[in-house]
Amino acid sequence: MNISKKLLERALGRREFFRRAVGVAVAAGLLPLARGQTSAQSSEGLPSFTGPGANPYWNGVNPFVTYPQKLPLLRLTDRGIQLETPRPYFRSPFTPNEAFFVRYHLDLIPNSIDLASWRLGLEGNFDKPLAFSLDDLMKQFEPVSVAAVNQCSGNSRSRFQPRVAGGQWGNGAMGNALWTGVRLSDLLKAAGVKAGTVQFQFQGLERGPGPQGKGSHAFMKSLDSNDPVLEECVVAYLMNDEPLPMLNGFPVRLVVPGKFSTYWMKHLTWIRALTKPDDNFWIATAYRIPDTPRGNTTPAEASQVKTVPIGNVNMPVRSFIVDPDGSSKLIMGLPSKIRGIAFSGYGRVTQVEVSADDGKTWSVATLGTYNGPYAFRTWEYVWKPQKPGKYTLAVRATDEKGNVQPDQGVWNPGGYLWNKIERQEVVVGTAS
Amino acid sequence: MRNYYWILLMALGLFALAQGDTLPGVVQEGNYAPGTLGSITQPLPASSQPDSVYSVGAWPTYTPELADGPGKELVQGYCQVCHSSTYITMQPPLPAATWDAEVKKMINTFGAPIPQDAAAQITAYLQAHYTPETRKP
Ligand code: HEC
Repeated sequence: MNISKKLLERALGRREFFRRAVGVAVAAGLLPLARGQTSAQSSEGLPSFTGPGANPYWNGVNPFVTYPQKLPLLRLTDRGIQLETPRPYFRSPFTPNEAFFVRYHLDLIPNSIDLASWRLGLEGNFDKPLAFSLDDLMKQFEPVSVAAVNQCSGNSRSRFQPRVAGGQWGNGAMGNALWTGVRLSDLLKAAGVKAGTVQFQFQGLERGPGPQGKGSHAFMKSLDSNDPVLEECVVAYLMNDEPLPMLNGFPVRLVVPGKFSTYWMKHLTWIRALTKPDDNFWIATAYRIPDTPRGNTTPAEASQVKTVPIGNVNMPVRSFIVDPDGSSKLIMGLPSKIRGIAFSGYGRVTQVEVSADDGKTWSVATLGTYNGPYAFRTWEYVWKPQKPGKYTLAVRATDEKGNVQPDQGVWNPGGYLWNKIERQEVVVGTAS
Repeated sequence: MRNYYWILLMALGLFALAQGDTLPGVVQEGNYAPGTLGSITQPLPASSQPDSVYSVGAWPTYTPELADGPGKELVQGYCQVCHSSTYITMQPPLPAATWDAEVKKMINTFGAPIPQDAAAQITAYLQAHYTPETRKP
């Protein structure tokens, strides 16, 4: 007891020391984006928060914690649960289930589900309201698979300047999986969508103790009945060929390829055909973006600007450097693999370019296996540094629609749609 | 006599080499220190039955302490009904006006049942500890 208290005090003292040291380094411009989460030392911890400046680290600064069915992940909040995936898991094109990020809004979520009584219900404006057991879904419909990136709308929110309230994610609120299940359109056809349906509402087993009718009571999302994405949606009962972890939506979740995670309803249990547009908090008030190019606005104009649901757009093209992460010095004259992932909600990534001079000149990287238009695409570029010194690596991706990652950040009050070019500082030493 | 002296010198030289100060290239070695970042215990496998129920254990909470000061108990009481106080500590330092707006949002948008007087004290507490000017590491 006494010893652990002493250790704690010591740790706090060290942390404060480290924070001050970081403050000085930032002021001197020595800490550009993005420092690795692994480090060449393991005695000084990260600070417990970042700001008011931008978070300079690849991931958020939060501590590692363990949850059921998960490896240690980075804890943003513990009730509702929000966990970020550490950087090294993005080395592979499919993110392991046990490392896949978690984002809930409310705290009443299932610990235990009995499939003998769980049903996926289709209700509202259907010819024939239906209820399916998991067994029905498995047996009555043709299984389909899609590889797709699930990315939180607020991924990288901690990069915003000025900072905005909300989940302070680094880059790890994303993951790619092979999702297998039934086509949403097959279910809708089975129930028969009646004329006059304007939206489909999706609700899962995520509730909160707030009053009925408020966003704190239930989490629900809706898509327009004429949205082409409905044809691509899958109600998934397998994630990377395994049952979904409870924290990722067991027994089934909605997969909405190309769109942000907010629509990918976990523990999906009700599909409602609506005859009036959904006015629930999570669609009418939250997850809205300025109706401007890139969803960009300014703090001064934010309250006047017209907004639309984030589902009106697809995920903008992004790319990430996974290696090197700055935890090791590179060696002059020795080939180093710069590698990572890229994706776009608008379809296939067609080109990834790498810069070793902070974005002044670019070289084309080699793309990895194509796993479909909405999946992570790995890329790599072999770089042989010829001089010792400090280098700033950068990466930018282009998608099949010709969208190229910009080198400007974006700002909106929700902290959504970040896709600025990512950077990584590395140090090259001499070999003799 | 002379021969023995020579052998002794050679033995001394070998001993010095073995002590490492001349290991090629090594600048430092054998540097250990007690770990300060903590360890995480692995979970024990859980048993389950071959039936239709799919379960996991309790969701663990990892909630750091809020800053000490007047109003802390009100925050612990009123602001942890729907979520834990990690929603507060996770935020970057936010301007005083933002904290005022957050408390109002919890009450008006999310329906937090907080009396006006308590709400004012909660806002004052958040402004006293979680703004760019006031937040401590
Ligand atoms: C009636 C339920 C309820 C109560 C009580 C409540 N909150 Fe919240 N709070 C929410 C919900 C719902 C969210 C959104 C959660 C999410 O999106 O993950 C939230 C989010 C937040 C956030 C993140 C920023 C944001 O606006 O989403 C902060 C900060 C916060 N709450 C602070 C507080 C404080 C301070 C109090 C006490 C005055 C409080 N909350 C009480 C329901 C509540």
